Amino acid sequence: MSETPKPDGATVERFRAVMLPHLDAAYGFARWLTRDPVVAQDVAQEAMLRALRYFHAFRGDEAKPWLLRIVRNTWTDMRAKSGAGDRPLEEIEDRAADGPDPEQSALASDQRRHVVAALAALPAEAREILVLREIEDCSYKHIAAVLDLPIGTVMSRLARAREKLAAELRGRLGRRDHGLPDM
Amino acid sequence: MDCPTCEAMVDAYLDGELSASDSAAFERALEACPDCRKRLEAGRAMSGLLRELPLEPAPDLLRARVERELRAIAGRPIARTRERLRWSAMAASLIVALGIGWLGGNVVGTGVGSDELVSTYLRVAGSEHAVDVASSDRHTVKPWFAGRIDYAPPVLDLTSDGFPLEGGRLDVVGGRKVSVLVYRRNQHKVALSLWPSLGGNSAAKVTQRDGFALAEWRHAGFEMHAVSDLAPAEMAAFAAALDRAIDADR
Repeated sequence: MSETPKPDGATVERFRAVMLPHLDAAYGFARWLTRDPVVAQDVAQEAMLRALRYFHAFRGDEAKPWLLRIVRNTWTDMRAKSGAGDRPLEEIEDRAADGPDPEQSALASDQRRHVVAALAALPAEAREILVLREIEDCSYKHIAAVLDLPIGTVMSRLARAREKLAAELRGRLGRRDHGLPDM
Repeated sequence: MDCPTCEAMVDAYLDGELSASDSAAFERALEACPDCRKRLEAGRAMSGLLRELPLEPAPDLLRARVERELRAIAGRPIARTRERLRWSAMAASLIVALGIGWLGGNVVGTGVGSDELVSTYLRVAGSEHAVDVASSDRHTVKPWFAGRIDYAPPVLDLTSDGFPLEGGRLDVVGGRKVSVLVYRRNQHKVALSLWPSLGGNSAAKVTQRDGFALAEWRHAGFEMHAVSDLAPAEMAAFAAALDRAIDADR
């Protein structure tokens, strides 16, 4: 790793053009991984720096999954280093509804708060794969790249995650409000 | 297509991962399979709920931090004019934080205490709890400081100058508790703090450091320290607007 070439001005410019457009995705993914808007910024910033450091190894594949994989590894490392576990959920649920929603009806925002809380309550393994699929809109192939899993495992893990989320939602919303039948 | 096969395809179909011919086969099989139709509808509903969640873009502060790192790594000296252009170009992402610390009435030279002031700014700009008292009403914010610090800072709304008051908080600068007022510029946070000073009025001196604009000046018996990522000209405008408002209020 000490052999990593130091990025020069031209590399930084290329990095800026290729990776910086995905900063929103990096932050969004980190936001769901960490469930904390402040920590998410630290994770996203550190991930961008790592991405620049390893940019010479980027072979012009898809930039977004490449970057999201680094985000995830960064978070794993930061958590291991600090010895911190996930934050307690009560704290998260208090803030889970944060976000811009002035023009939404109270009903819609109430439902959304439940959806956010249900997703936040899922174990990390289920949460990350659902966020990648439904929020970051990654294909199975890209999810496989981010999580370093075979496609078959992506599919089975995604199916399990959906069952877990459906159960959480049923508990929070009640069946009639969202049209989720029993499975 | 028998049902277990069909069931295994529901997710892949929903996720757009089936080939055109598999999709067509799945749709035909679905007609004969009410359970799988139900499953498909449930999956679609849940996917819809997640996709309706508002996306949270990277905060401007994060973007500024990353930009700063990239510039530093590229090893390009931060040319002043270039920097100025960049901040002007970022007119849509203005964050101002003014830190006014209690430093015994002396003008603090640039560099002295500026780390603390930048930290104050980062706490304001990088946190969801930027203010301890949230109000655009000076008559709410000003009394909040009573009993929390040993002086009464002038609290003024600068909405007419484009810097509406958002609230206030306390911070510690130079070992003393000081008042910090938070303002907004467009969609972004602006924080301002001030403390009493013995010297006469002085013009705002705006400097740049690490991509932030710092302003220091004295006015109406208060020492002002400001930190922001505004263009220096904007920072100067903020200082002038504040001075005018204080004078008009006396």
